[in-house]
Amino acid sequence: MQDKCGLFFCSYRAESALFPSGFQRACLAAFLLALVIIPLGINSYYVSILCLMNIAVIGAVSLNLLTGLCGQISLGHGAFFGVGAYTAGILAAKGVPFLLVLPASGAVAAMAGMAFGLPSLRLKGIYLAIASLAAQLILEYVFLHWESMTGGSNGLMLMAPEIFGLKFDSDIKMFYLTLGVAALTVLAVSNITRTRPGRAFVAIRDHYLSAEIVGVNLFAGKLQAFGLSSFLAGVGGCLWAHYTNFITPEQFNIGLSINYLAMIIIGGLGSVLGAIFGAVFLTVLPEALNAVAALAGQMLGGDPTASLAALKGGVFGLVLTLFLIFEPDGLAQRWRMAKAYWKLYPFAH
Amino acid sequence: MKHPLRRLARALAALALIVALAAPAALAQEISIGMLADLSGPTADVSTPYANGLRDGAKYINEAGLLGAAKLKFTLVDYAYNAQQALSAYKKFTSQDNILFLQGWGTQDTEALTQFVTKDKVPTISASYSAHLTDPAKAPYNFFVAADYSTQVRAALKYFKDNWKESRAPKLALMYPNVPYGLASIPPAKEYAKELGFELVGEEIVDLKAMDATAQLLRLAKAAPDFTWIGGTTQSTAVILKDAQKLNLKTQFFTNIWGADENLPPLAGPAAEGVISLQAAVAYGQDVPGMKAIEKLTGGKPQMTHYVRGFASMLVMAEGIKRAQAKGKLGGEEIKAALETLRDFDPMGLTAPISYFPDDHRPNMTAYLYVFKGGKMELLAKQSLERKKEWLGK
Repeated sequence: MQDKCGLFFCSYRAESALFPSGFQRACLAAFLLALVIIPLGINSYYVSILCLMNIAVIGAVSLNLLTGLCGQISLGHGAFFGVGAYTAGILAAKGVPFLLVLPASGAVAAMAGMAFGLPSLRLKGIYLAIASLAAQLILEYVFLHWESMTGGSNGLMLMAPEIFGLKFDSDIKMFYLTLGVAALTVLAVSNITRTRPGRAFVAIRDHYLSAEIVGVNLFAGKLQAFGLSSFLAGVGGCLWAHYTNFITPEQFNIGLSINYLAMIIIGGLGSVLGAIFGAVFLTVLPEALNAVAALAGQMLGGDPTASLAALKGGVFGLVLTLFLIFEPDGLAQRWRMAKAYWKLYPFAH
Repeated sequence: MKHPLRRLARALAALALIVALAAPAALAQEISIGMLADLSGPTADVSTPYANGLRDGAKYINEAGLLGAAKLKFTLVDYAYNAQQALSAYKKFTSQDNILFLQGWGTQDTEALTQFVTKDKVPTISASYSAHLTDPAKAPYNFFVAADYSTQVRAALKYFKDNWKESRAPKLALMYPNVPYGLASIPPAKEYAKELGFELVGEEIVDLKAMDATAQLLRLAKAAPDFTWIGGTTQSTAVILKDAQKLNLKTQFFTNIWGADENLPPLAGPAAEGVISLQAAVAYGQDVPGMKAIEKLTGGKPQMTHYVRGFASMLVMAEGIKRAQAKGKLGGEEIKAALETLRDFDPMGLTAPISYFPDDHRPNMTAYLYVFKGGKMELLAKQSLERKKEWLGK
């Protein structure tokens, strides 16, 4: 490695650079190139998983902005995701072009997020979590009962998105679309962490009183976090709606919210990279368990799906618990340790 | 001297021979189908027997040679009632297993996949009996083997009205959970009840996971309904029945297809007595030809009615594949067209006769009314309705 040992920044600009070294830039470019090329050579099952990963990354990174960075626990993220999906469904049915639908979904979700973020002025920690749970339940109720708009229990149908005549009607095309949006989201959130509002979020999380004393407007900061996070969640929801072509209220239940929370906990709270790891991990986990079940079936004969099925719920809980006990800083910390190991090798001490 | 061209010709001839030999082998093929089941999610209690019915159905079809030389090969995936997992399972089915047919499960997966199966031309039989899936204009590749939720509740209302002896109008109350599945049968029930001359006296929401329904039942008790619809799942029905017994509420409870099954008597005890359950398949042990096969496969161990319905949906699928085979080409489009030629097809007596039309995928208009007596489900009546155009998809 050519990296210097220690910190030798001469300016704040250099210190807060997203990619401080050329090596990192090269690695990222290689990774992105691989992401662009690999889907061309694999079948659409794997492409669809990659696609779902992209959408999960958007959801997790946006929740991480609110919960990891700003410290506001939200149990309503799945519902904000749903607001984006329903906005997309309603607007797309009216013939609004996709390029307008995408930001509009985010904007409506952001408004919903800010409205339900209002209690955060008075509430903290577990109390806010319960208030956001109310957001989840109320929005679910709206999805189900505002039949003239949401289609109620019948759900809402969508067509494949179209940008300038190009129809995204296959997994591979949707993959590139979701990859593009996910990459922009990750870039945006990484940049937000370097801005004044981003630092204000961290200050609010770490000590709200000190933050207020140094001039952070708590209320505005929290609302910004809710708005930004819900905006991105809405964008994710828009992509999800366009990918599945069909949305029902059940897709955006409390289970989805908890799944997103689990992603950022497993990945590592407060870290953009961690949110990505968590999203990838939890999207792959059920598929991997199914593959293990199928493999076991081939080797042992018979059909162990039924007996392994009971394990699946348990595995999810077990993974979450084990992470909390053994790696509370998540996959992101593991990654940093692995990197440090190679960087400092052979003089790890 | 060997001419290089001749060698090439010989190689080509050999290749042609191999292809010619392999082609019939490929025709006497494996027919790959996909099955989605919820073995670990919220509907696992009813999906597991249904999935067992599907599995045993496949076994029976292969052993009895229903598809001639072709054999069914199925892949079952547990999707835990999660739309995302259903979607990726479906992608795996279509890109790796090359399925010709999908045996789906609940509302969550079936609705999320409606557009995909249409695009990929994969005929699907589900256990989600939402009425809007019967309209080929909206869901051309979706089929199922039971009367849809709306038809079921309409049939029950018709039966009650026909057997109503008093001069006053019968009073009806509705209890249902605030979820898509529970809400689906409410508008048709209200509309048809009005048409038949029922008086709607109460409407109560009881959550699927409710532990107590006393408050709702106390309100209903004042209205004294003659008939009370319970549109939940077996667990919530048991809660309602037990509380109703405590309050000594006298009303004829009736439930939809997932609202009461063989698990109800153990859960609700004597409170289950007299409750009517709307079903679409025979109960285990009833004397029909298909039951012989099932009894043999299960070694005489009683199975739930959901199992029987799973088994029957495999038989209907096999009939569609068989008819498509007879016509020559076997593909999703052909199987769909073949299914649409079914007219009063009898799946060995396991369900009411099934017909599909190109513009109407309602399998039949018949609900089986079962009544719980001594902890057992006994057939009370088979109620059929007219196949009305205006009810299609509603």
